[in-house]
Amino acid sequence: MFLPIFLFELKYRLRRPATWIYFGILLIMGALVTAAAGGIFGSGVNVSLSADGGHVKVNSPHSISGAIAVLSYFGLLITSAIMGNPVYRDFEHRTHSLFFTTPITKAGYLGGRFLGSFVICVLVFTGIALGVALGGVLPGVDATKFGPYHLSYYVWPYLLFVIPNVLFTGAVFFTLATLTRNILSTYIGSVLLLVAYLISQSFLRDLDNITLAAMLDAFGSGAIYYTTRYWTAAEKNTLLMPLSQYILLNRALWLGVAVALLAFCYARFQFSAFASDKAPSKKTRAAAALAEQVAAPMGGRLVLPRVTQFFTNEMNLRQFWSLTKLEFRGIVRSVYFVAIVGAGVLFLFVTGWQVGKVYDTTTYPVTNEMVALLSGTFSLFILIIITYYAGELVWRERDAGVAQITDSLPVPNWVPFLSKLTALGLVQVVLLAVVMVCGILLQTAKGYFKYEPGLYIQTLFGLRLVDYLLLCVLAMLVQVIVNNKYLGHFVMVIYYLTGIFQSQLGINHKLLDYGGSPSTPYSDMNGYGHFITGFTWFKLYWAAGALLLALAANIFWVRGTDSAFTRRQAEASRRWGRPAWTALALGLLVMLSAGSFIFYNTNIQNEYITPKAEEKQQLSYEQKYRRYKDMLQPRLVAVNLRTDLYPATRSVDIAGSFWLKNRNARALDSILISVPIGAKVRQLSIGQPAAKLLLNDSVLYTRFYRLARPLAPGDSVEMTATLHYGETGFPNSGSNTSIVENGIFMNSQAYLPGFGYREGAELSDDDVRKRNGLKPKDRQAPATDVKALQNMGLSQDADWIRFETVLSTSADQLAVAPGRLLKDWTKGDRRYFHYKMEQPMLNFYTFLSARYKVYKDQWVDSAGRRVVPIEIYYQPGHEYNLKRMAAATKASFAYYTKHFGPYQHTQVRILEFPKYQSFAQSFAGTIPFSESIGFIAKVDPNDPEDVDYPFYVTAHEIAHQWWGHQIAGANVQGETMLVETMAQYSALMVMKQEYGAHTMAKFLDYELNSYLNGRAFERKKEVPLSKVENQGYIHYRKGSVVMYALQDYIGEANVNKALHSFLEQHKFETAPYTTAPALVAEFRKVTPDSLQGLVTDMFDRITLYENRLTDASVKKLANGKFQVSLTVDSKKLVADSLGTERPAPLDDYLPVAVFPALGKDKKPVAPLLLTKRRFRAGTNKFEFIVNQEPAKVVVDPYHEFIDRVQKDNVKEVKL
Amino acid sequence: MALTITNLSKTYANGVQALKDVNLTIPTGMFGLLGPNGAGKSSLMRTIATLQDADSGSIMLDELDVLKDKDGVRRVLGYLPQEFGVYPRVSAEELLDHLAVLKGIGNSKQRKEIVESLLQQTNLWNARKKNLGGYSGGMKQRFGIAQALLGNPKLIIVDEPTAGLDPAERNRFHNLLSEIGEHIIIILSTHIVSDVTDLCRNMAIISQGQVRLTGDPLTVVEQLRGQVWRKLVDKDEVAGLQAEHHVISSRLFAGKTIVHVLSDSRPDGTFEEVNPDLEDVYFAQIAERKSAVLA
Repeated sequence: MFLPIFLFELKYRLRRPATWIYFGILLIMGALVTAAAGGIFGSGVNVSLSADGGHVKVNSPHSISGAIAVLSYFGLLITSAIMGNPVYRDFEHRTHSLFFTTPITKAGYLGGRFLGSFVICVLVFTGIALGVALGGVLPGVDATKFGPYHLSYYVWPYLLFVIPNVLFTGAVFFTLATLTRNILSTYIGSVLLLVAYLISQSFLRDLDNITLAAMLDAFGSGAIYYTTRYWTAAEKNTLLMPLSQYILLNRALWLGVAVALLAFCYARFQFSAFASDKAPSKKTRAAAALAEQVAAPMGGRLVLPRVTQFFTNEMNLRQFWSLTKLEFRGIVRSVYFVAIVGAGVLFLFVTGWQVGKVYDTTTYPVTNEMVALLSGTFSLFILIIITYYAGELVWRERDAGVAQITDSLPVPNWVPFLSKLTALGLVQVVLLAVVMVCGILLQTAKGYFKYEPGLYIQTLFGLRLVDYLLLCVLAMLVQVIVNNKYLGHFVMVIYYLTGIFQSQLGINHKLLDYGGSPSTPYSDMNGYGHFITGFTWFKLYWAAGALLLALAANIFWVRGTDSAFTRRQAEASRRWGRPAWTALALGLLVMLSAGSFIFYNTNIQNEYITPKAEEKQQLSYEQKYRRYKDMLQPRLVAVNLRTDLYPATRSVDIAGSFWLKNRNARALDSILISVPIGAKVRQLSIGQPAAKLLLNDSVLYTRFYRLARPLAPGDSVEMTATLHYGETGFPNSGSNTSIVENGIFMNSQAYLPGFGYREGAELSDDDVRKRNGLKPKDRQAPATDVKALQNMGLSQDADWIRFETVLSTSADQLAVAPGRLLKDWTKGDRRYFHYKMEQPMLNFYTFLSARYKVYKDQWVDSAGRRVVPIEIYYQPGHEYNLKRMAAATKASFAYYTKHFGPYQHTQVRILEFPKYQSFAQSFAGTIPFSESIGFIAKVDPNDPEDVDYPFYVTAHEIAHQWWGHQIAGANVQGETMLVETMAQYSALMVMKQEYGAHTMAKFLDYELNSYLNGRAFERKKEVPLSKVENQGYIHYRKGSVVMYALQDYIGEANVNKALHSFLEQHKFETAPYTTAPALVAEFRKVTPDSLQGLVTDMFDRITLYENRLTDASVKKLANGKFQVSLTVDSKKLVADSLGTERPAPLDDYLPVAVFPALGKDKKPVAPLLLTKRRFRAGTNKFEFIVNQEPAKVVVDPYHEFIDRVQKDNVKEVKL
Repeated sequence: MALTITNLSKTYANGVQALKDVNLTIPTGMFGLLGPNGAGKSSLMRTIATLQDADSGSIMLDELDVLKDKDGVRRVLGYLPQEFGVYPRVSAEELLDHLAVLKGIGNSKQRKEIVESLLQQTNLWNARKKNLGGYSGGMKQRFGIAQALLGNPKLIIVDEPTAGLDPAERNRFHNLLSEIGEHIIIILSTHIVSDVTDLCRNMAIISQGQVRLTGDPLTVVEQLRGQVWRKLVDKDEVAGLQAEHHVISSRLFAGKTIVHVLSDSRPDGTFEEVNPDLEDVYFAQIAERKSAVLA
């Protein structure tokens, strides 16, 4: 019985146009993403498959597998359409009574229908692979981005993922639709699958739930992630997805679930005409009872009371409201609404619980974080509801079969349409209220009671709601126009997808992006600030746009039974009357006037530049000015400014003198000046008599001056400049976040003139350079480049400068710049501060201003017999971690002055700045610190998982006063090792001192993981630490691991000795600047011969270890002690810049530790034994005696070596 | 008051010509529109009920142009479509009240009165709080007529109301219709001849989009007197008879077939004269049409 049904299903499906349409859609999507990644769209468009790129080929097995996997997730919609249908359609078309009465078997019927559809579904999904393959051979793609083609690269992801996933999701949809006999249940199925997927995704970054996250996700993306997360370009280009433990377990689990579901479906399915034939439901019984109690006919006339009908506008409004209530109740009472919202709320709680995780440590659930996280999380569910219910609303009467009655009622057309739209809008209000309630509940559950209902309301009902309402109008219009519910849903999904690729499609101006507006970032310091203005104007513009859409929807609203398009047009023209003209005129008037005002703001008051045009500008800068790269230029030696900050108007005036000195051996006569972007130059002149302005390139912000007389070697000349900054109106995007009403944070490199050609302004990405006809560019010169040694990494136009400024701001704010505060005074409504540096500093300074409160502390320098005041300028309300930060500052000063040398300033200031950016940065004695990375961190001292990162970040930034502000490396490879790696090391040592060595494992685990992740996404080349080219994953992450290991191996004292000696030689030195090899040489001086190889592995090579504890056991000895035996498989590898590995001889001492059981508090414990043993390649066996009962044996317990699989370095042992 | 339909034609997008030059004058009282399935009855009903447009022709309700002033028609219209559903999880009372609002009955007291009165008169009073999803076919149909009677309709259109009802429910429904009154226009479209016989003072027969016959049922039946003849034959003789005579209907009776033949005089001695009824009129019209098509 099976075969004929199966074959019929196949034939039926193959004849359906939908099958081929689905196939075509997937094929086109596959081809598009591949072609886009292959560069078919040219400049300005960057697309990569699964974040590959650089050296990873577009048709590498990893990229193909990623593209196929992601597109197959979108294919879920198709699976639900295909797999929900096979049995359901018999119910839908009422053919089930025909089929169920034929002598077919249940297995044959269900099996044939399921397998037939499943085969079709897989066939449809092959469209992806075909598209992905075809996309690579389209004309216009860059052939060099493609490697050799292998069929297996395309087939393997299908065997491993696509087919099992279709089987599983297909089983879900099939079972749901077959057993519930309701196609809507497949929607719920889709939503639940999505939520499970999202929840598992949210666990991915958490290092402690790896197996859970890999198993939870039915699509296997978690398993893929954990299997390939550390893959380098070389591996991505060549390896098929291995059958890792994660993948095997995941596949087995979900295939099992699929089979179980199908078995359940088989068991529960019955050949009966009704979903429940057993006992009539209460409802049916009641109806039967009612039918019987019908009274006898009345006889005589039907007498009805007279009524008055009103056909007034007021009555129409009442009808509108009555309908709105009915529609609203219809939505919120429907089981699907409750299910979707329920799933969303569940997801809200899962994500909301982990608010603001950094280093696995959450932040306080402050309202702005909560509301941003939750409304972002929930938006997906809101989109689903809008899309789905727009269709339901438009089709409600027709689906229920009452359309003919309601359509012939004496209500104007606008009443049904507008009431449905209003109901959908009201649903959005309800949904956002749900978000608000969840947020408050979460805050309460986390013991946080500083609710800010005003902020909730402002964010949810002031900002988000507007977007959703606009979307409601669009969704309704689409449903009305296409007049097919499912097609309408599909159109909306396409619309959402194009939203993602907007920039690629060339839609950059928000005037073209329906509902678009500039972003509205929030900061506790600055609220929504000035961003609201642009937002409001754009939303007004789009509200008028929505009015036009609503008008169109109303005009084309289907009323009556004839919905042929020509009829609808005729009907539309009949409906077009005075009110329509009025609405059209009003909509157009508002759109035009608001649009013009916006255009004036975005394109005339501000510069509007597309990514493409920006790329071209960078290109033209390089083409025009690179020839002056080696032109002799003077060096900046002194800056004296008068800086006036006007927070209320978001403007800044800078006037001052800049002394330039010719440090070259020859005289020079021309000066190339980079005017800061966005500056209005009121005045700029050089020398007496003034230099001649030869060229003023206002597009590329470059000026050329010819000095009146050449500047002789050793001579200086003064430049004076008056600059004005101020954003007039609002830009399309990227409104200035540095100059704001509360929380100005300006950086000299962005706001003050520079001298000479700026290599940093060139296009840097190799792919981008290539498509612009440029050669690839090195990130930094090698340490042997004599010319490059003349500049420090941080600024190329100055060495050490003298600095002084009189800084003013509004009377209610405090303003800070580097230097000692000589004087402060108030005059009128302005407050003045005079800062002056007591010794030269880097050409790198900052101005900050806000309504700060100041937390004061001090550090007593017993050696230098002085007191260094500590000031933390913070936003009132952010008191949480002030003490920690002050403690970190003191501990840092104590450690650094003792081991590295004296602190050069007379004070230190930490200043909070708005979270438009999230970093902390060290200027001379001045440390701006983002509100988002420490001020609101919630470090639970009792939670062993928490890392005290406010403490760590503070220690790191304080360390920069030595590493960065005393040692400035030359602008060559390895420069950031001198600055960032040493700051990491310093902070690690302070943390170790504060919290104990045994607490470092968690932190180093993070660093190691970040390094491994980072190298997987390297686009150009990975280099050893001593050659680092400003790569964060190397100088911070690998730097931490390496330096921690170094101090463990050669001793903290020896490392500090080397650092001290290095500082003594190089601090405040001028050109030629020092380099990383010089520091490595210092380390070698304090390293015994036996460990010189280790230093090479750490700094000069990319070294990887593969240690695996294969066996560990424990035995109690007669003397009461315990003998631990272990076997370790070991391997050492050396990788090249692309990640190609070759084995290296292993003969190193590696740390091995034996730990006791954890205490009740689960906090890290000190090991019973920590020793270093000699490891050789292959199998190593060790035996130890410990005094206490051991619980765990670990190789490399503190993550001092790079090992991609940490899990197998640990084994529990039991007696 | 009268509804005048002049030269009304309608062709659907798929090429089916539903109405061909329809001319009808419908006076007050119950008007029966009789025709087989697919004759164009519903198309005509829907056109009058403002749910679809005609290609040409006009419909006038006295001075009111039905095709142009749709709102005007809707204000005086009560419409019970051929097939309709209900919101399953809303009670009859609730939905009726809601529809009353949409019919413009703004005074809540009046609305309450009319809703209650209608529920009582349609015998739905006891079931008024029940969700409509639980209603039987007959109850649903009575609810349908109740909603059509909301307001003070001057024009009521009832499209195939008794299809699918059991005889008892059908009776109840007829009684209800008959009580509505003579002073407004009620158009009853049906393919069941006895519906018209029982209820209507005026009627039209429509087939393949065209009006075949209009008039008072009694008159049109009378016009056929002396022209309808009957014969009881075996099944295999039917084909022969059809070739020789104008057979208008044949139906089985006790294993044999009764054939009705239309003829000005008795065809031969084996035929006996029949007292014609509306069914004969109906079949005569339909059969004429069929033979015309065949020829």
